[in-house]
Amino acid sequence: MGVAFVAHCVLNQNSKVGDGAICAGVYSPIVDVLREKGWRIEQMPCPELAFAGLNRFWAVREQYDTAAFRRHCARLATAVADVIALRAERGEDVVLIGVEGSPSMGVTITSSDPRRGGRPEWPDGTPEHVSGEGIFVEELRRELTSRGIGFPRVVGQTSAIPGHDEAAQRAAVESALSGIDG
Amino acid sequence: MKRDDRSFRVALVADKYVNPPPGGVDAVAAAAQAGWGVIQLPADEYPAAVARRLLFEVAEQAEEFARHGYDLVIVGRRGGLARALARAGIALPDRIIPESSVALVEFLSGRPSPEALRMAGSADG
Repeated sequence: MGVAFVAHCVLNQNSKVGDGAICAGVYSPIVDVLREKGWRIEQMPCPELAFAGLNRFWAVREQYDTAAFRRHCARLATAVADVIALRAERGEDVVLIGVEGSPSMGVTITSSDPRRGGRPEWPDGTPEHVSGEGIFVEELRRELTSRGIGFPRVVGQTSAIPGHDEAAQRAAVESALSGIDG
Repeated sequence: MKRDDRSFRVALVADKYVNPPPGGVDAVAAAAQAGWGVIQLPADEYPAAVARRLLFEVAEQAEEFARHGYDLVIVGRRGGLARALARAGIALPDRIIPESSVALVEFLSGRPSPEALRMAGSADG
């Protein structure tokens, strides 16, 4: 059996930044695929929730890329890496399911705008999505590397990305679980 | 803050209900049906030090929800949870040991409206 380490908000949209929750609690389009394929679920902590709280502003990588937030993410990454290590020792297949566009949980797309700061007033449509990993994912990669554990295959929830297509998201998750590039 | 689709309801769920055995109670499905979010508790099989770290993070996140008036409940049991929550300064939420998925959905659906939801409603209005 495989183990999917899922971003916190896949099971709990209440953790999202204000105006970011797209359903009441469980984001079923990804959970449904994991259930159908018989994958175990391991929920990761939300890096932003305990650090910046429920009333945090929408933010980009540059706003979170501080020594204090990286220490926080490194602590979380240690806890997650402990479990990944346990699963890897048993020979179980591991996949990481992040959140594309997130400053902390993006796996191939994060958000970036070096000018953002101060009073929060920026126009809708400001381009902020760029290729790259979020800060927590970087810290998890660093922690696993230091333990000699290979980084899992990754896939991201894409609901915050313009042009989101649920069928394409499902196909990407299925592809990641199968280990075969789509 | 603008209202979104969140429910302001979060269940702290023992691993056996997040990853149920065949025929077991699936709390993730029940939460989805009842409109609740889930925070997974560490599996019982994990070494104490690993579980302790995970429970610390669970408690920190639960404290944030509790302080903002979200409804919290516990589904199942997990050793060390009460201590972790106490250290984070929050009282032990109501608990259910569900005998069936139907019973769990009924329990979750029957909870009173969370304070945070009422506050968000008044802010909207």
